[in-house]
Amino acid sequence: MIEAKNLSKLYDRSVYALRDLSLSVEKGEFVFLTGPSGAGKSTFLRLLLVKERASEGEILVNGHNLTTLSRSEVQEYRRGVGFVFQDFKLIPARTVFENVSFVSEVLGVAPSQQRRRAFQVLKWVGLQHRMNAYPRELSGGEQQRIAIARALMNDPPLVIADEPTGNLDPDLSLEIMNLLREVNAGGTTVLVATHDRELIRLVDRRSVTLDHGRIVEMS
Amino acid sequence: MRAIDYALRHGWASLVRGKGSTVFAVLAIALASSVLGAVALVTFNADRVLARWWESAEFSVYLRDDATSEQRGMLETLLDQSNAVGGREYVSKDQALARFRREFAELASMTAELGGNPFPASLEVRLLDRADETGAGESLLRRVATLPGVADVRYDRVWLARVGQGLEALRRVGLALALLLGLAAAVTVASVVRLGMHARKDEIEIMELVGASAAFIRGPFIAEGLLQGGIGALASLVVVFAGYRIGVALWGMDLSLALDGMAPRFLPVSLGAALVAGGMLVGSLGGLIASRRVGS
Repeated sequence: MIEAKNLSKLYDRSVYALRDLSLSVEKGEFVFLTGPSGAGKSTFLRLLLVKERASEGEILVNGHNLTTLSRSEVQEYRRGVGFVFQDFKLIPARTVFENVSFVSEVLGVAPSQQRRRAFQVLKWVGLQHRMNAYPRELSGGEQQRIAIARALMNDPPLVIADEPTGNLDPDLSLEIMNLLREVNAGGTTVLVATHDRELIRLVDRRSVTLDHGRIVEMS
Repeated sequence: MRAIDYALRHGWASLVRGKGSTVFAVLAIALASSVLGAVALVTFNADRVLARWWESAEFSVYLRDDATSEQRGMLETLLDQSNAVGGREYVSKDQALARFRREFAELASMTAELGGNPFPASLEVRLLDRADETGAGESLLRRVATLPGVADVRYDRVWLARVGQGLEALRRVGLALALLLGLAAAVTVASVVRLGMHARKDEIEIMELVGASAAFIRGPFIAEGLLQGGIGALASLVVVFAGYRIGVALWGMDLSLALDGMAPRFLPVSLGAALVAGGMLVGSLGGLIASRRVGS
């Protein structure tokens, strides 16, 4: 699913955020990306979301070479990737239902299909009863579940989560991880960046540890 | 269609959300449109009176009282041979006097006091339409003026053309001013839309990350500018119309006299629609400038 070969990302022509990184993630795998702050986890995820391009090497995701994608190919590629962020990135002026269905709306999906799918994913994360609430009326855990529901709207083969439990207490963190594990159980490849060692231990999946832009451990 | 519907719905929502800043953008466009609308109103009515004068414009050759019949014959031959002339009519001194008494009845008594007939005999010439385009009319005017027995030649379209040029210059100045103000309005709209974009940066990021097309992401911002432009231009039409009604109420008679007896008229629907379309275009341009880097 993900194949990074000799990947490097340089800032200001001299600072390496990633250095000669090679990593392979199989289809349907659940992988943690861990390491201290500044290790390169978020940079790697930004490359996966094509928010930035690699300076050297190449990165292939589901057959797409992310280093050479054109603008329209980036749009096409991103439609197959779900994402979850630490700060949820929900739109405050929209209801839960609108936050979720909006993903399909901007892709031009018919309204009836949007509604059906939004209700389906909200039910899946157990928040269909809060569909008319606004994000400010929800707890942190609920907001992150909504963000996961939104990530699943297009039924993507890959979900990327950047510190999804960073703003949550340990119980809620485990709840979110269990949800992502369920996503993975459905065949979706899940890549989670986190620095929470305890959570990685509890979930017990493959983890890749980065430090100074290099892989230092795989377990 | 869904993209347009989405853009208009969210553009409108953003416009309502940012009421305070929206007012500035709408005012800027209303100001530019009002200037253009006022100039259009003035030139539209001036064009009407000019068109009427153009239609009834005369080419008159006034003869000296001592002009001989040979001199008059020479003049008539020249006119008949000219390819600019469609017809001519001789008006004798007596006919000219009678016409004056008929058309200015209240002044008729004055002519009796003069003791003689002060009106010259003349030849009223009807020029062909193409004579103005080819310049043959003016050329004929110069030749006729040099003939013996000719006291004066009057060709209305020469000065009417000058008035037309003046009007055209006024129109261009008005347009230049409106363009300048329009540019300032577009910049104001761009700033207001940019403010809205800043408030919606998470939404834009999510749209980019889910793979929405650039057109879909920019659409609401362009629509917001378009709506601001449309509202501003409509407001300017209201302002110009109010000015027109006040002008008619206060100086209706004077305006009618200035327009050669015609009642002043408000802008036709086509010009009003063009003004609104122009406002919408300027607004859209502002939205486009503000969102040009989004989704790329």
